[in-house]
Amino acid sequence: MEITKDKAITQLDNFANVNQLLVAESPKAINVCDFTGRFHGRTVVDNINLEISDGSITAIVGPSGCGKSTFLRSINRMNDRISGWSRQGSIELYGEQVYANDVELLSLRRRVGMVFQRPNPFPMSIEENIACGVRAHRLAPRSHMKDIVRARLEEVGLWKAVSGRLKESPFQLSGGQQQLLCLARALAVQPEVLLLDEPTSSLDPISTQAVEELLKEFVPELTIVIVTHNLAQAKRIADNVAFFMNGSLVEFGSCEQIFDSPKEPETAKYVSGIFG
Amino acid sequence: MSTHTSSTQGLPFSPLRGSPLSASPKGQLNSSKYPYRVFLGLARWWRAVVEQSPQYLSAVLGAIPFLALVAIVIILFHEAFPAIKVNGGGFVTHSKWSVGSEYANPIRRDGVATPVGATYGAWPLILGTLEASALALIIAVPVSLLSALIVVEKLSARASRWVGVFLEILVGIPSVIYGLWGALTLGPFLAHHLAPIANHIPNVPILRFFRGPTYNGEGLLTAGVVLGIMIIPIIASTARDLIRQVPASLKDGGRAIGMTDFEVSRKVIWPWIKSGIVGATFLGLGRALGETMAVLMTCGAVLGTTAHSIFSNMNTIAATIVSQLDSAQTDGTGFAVRSLAELGCILIVITLICNIGAKLLLSRATHDTTTT
Ligand SMILES: Nc1ncnc2c1ncn2[C@@H]1O[C@H](COP(=O)(O)OP(=O)(O)O)[C@@H](O)[C@H]1O
Ligand SMILES: [Mg+2]
Repeated sequence: MEITKDKAITQLDNFANVNQLLVAESPKAINVCDFTGRFHGRTVVDNINLEISDGSITAIVGPSGCGKSTFLRSINRMNDRISGWSRQGSIELYGEQVYANDVELLSLRRRVGMVFQRPNPFPMSIEENIACGVRAHRLAPRSHMKDIVRARLEEVGLWKAVSGRLKESPFQLSGGQQQLLCLARALAVQPEVLLLDEPTSSLDPISTQAVEELLKEFVPELTIVIVTHNLAQAKRIADNVAFFMNGSLVEFGSCEQIFDSPKEPETAKYVSGIFG
Repeated sequence: MSTHTSSTQGLPFSPLRGSPLSASPKGQLNSSKYPYRVFLGLARWWRAVVEQSPQYLSAVLGAIPFLALVAIVIILFHEAFPAIKVNGGGFVTHSKWSVGSEYANPIRRDGVATPVGATYGAWPLILGTLEASALALIIAVPVSLLSALIVVEKLSARASRWVGVFLEILVGIPSVIYGLWGALTLGPFLAHHLAPIANHIPNVPILRFFRGPTYNGEGLLTAGVVLGIMIIPIIASTARDLIRQVPASLKDGGRAIGMTDFEVSRKVIWPWIKSGIVGATFLGLGRALGETMAVLMTCGAVLGTTAHSIFSNMNTIAATIVSQLDSAQTDGTGFAVRSLAELGCILIVITLICNIGAKLLLSRATHDTTTT
């Protein structure tokens, strides 16, 4: 995949922005306080304390079954209706309690988008996949819809491939293209935070790279939390890394720190175990 | 493969051999103590025959249902053929249904002996069949869809299992019981409580169809509602299975961009299941078209006229065949019976079209789900 001149410039801009933000006191996008989650009384997410700064990419890594997905889904309250789920502690989104009684789930989920492990385009046309969220939240008048669809598809680099078949089913697209469509769909409702749960684990290397490039372009306008089992990926894109094990947050730190000088022995084992 | 087998056999105490089959008391066939085991044995034997016979034999055995269907259709058409010839196209457009004179000498028409004055027009019956079935669908489809959605999306696994059991029980209730309930309870209720309200509807064309005199509560509406209730379990259980097949990841995807439950149902679940629901609807329609006893008991069984309103007496093809068979057999020429057979032909054609349509749509729906 070639990096065009424009792209390179935006990326440089992004780096500049990130640096500015780091210099200034960066506000917290997500603040997790003593958060515990249980399924049928079994603790799956254990007393997590974590601060995710605005405009950063945070990677959550850890062995499978350690509660990464469950934790991620707690942030936009996707676990709420799962039977047997209970939780304690708090999660704040830009200072607002996510689990407060008066929170509107619909607007929470507009502000906190999510992309899943397997591409899950809706069974409707490609165009409609992007438009339906915009319409559900009344974010734009009908007359703007065409432009929005195009802008979002261009943003994820899918426009050229699908511009001729906007009315067709998304299921003919390749897995990578479907995932990009899901990304565009999540972006279409203008989220502030984007949660991604192993978004590239079912994709080929080229598509994976495309998604990674995009994520790096989206910051710092967007705050990104990505669960990945691919340590190399975390290394490539993350500003900060959180290492989970058995439901607990073992260590949280900058990408370099976690990979080059982990403080906890478990982290060191996990990080080195994969790379040999 | 072979090395694996031999190594297993080489073990002194292979856990795979010996113990489970022969030691279990289930293996001993004791037909005097457990008579049902004879049937079990027969079923096993039959399966063995089908599975082990050469391919042509299983092909023949597999073809039996198809051949039976073809035979039924051919025999029915053969029986009806003289009536088809004499009644002509008027059979599906005319309304008068008369066996003719029993006493006058039969006359010959198109080489077929018929009683004097015998006329057969099935239009009210065809229309009545379609009207009652349409009414049944109008009632059953939304109710089924909604209840299936609630069962899958809202109820706990335990509760939805109970609903499933309940649906199966509903399917198993004999139609004469539904008919009895319709005639004794529902019909009078509609006549005494709904009809007076319906009479406030203005007496103008089209709307006029929804008001009018009631005949002891027997009529189109009662028959349609009873039919609707009878097909709800069929459509609801199919709809429930279809909704269960909608991947959780899709519904999650909808919720994750902030859709309401209603929007998730309409925009994510519905497109996924709609062709299957059309199939389920046809399945229910197939049942409604052919339902006889419950309709006969609730429709008023009037001959020769179409329903003027939803409260009018009416009749359907299936109900007519049953109610007229006795008197038809008194027709010495046999023409009345042949005309009933002709009615049967029309019903079987309509029903076959529905069922084939249902199967095609449902198989396409499941195919869609598996490929995507
Ligand atoms: N819906 C659920 N009901 C009950 N237990 C669940 C559910 N989802 C996940 N779990 C359990 O929670 C634990 C953590 O799962 P998950 O968050 O998916 O792990 P990860 O994403 O790190 O692989 C697992 O032991 C899993 O069995
Ligand atoms: Mg996971």
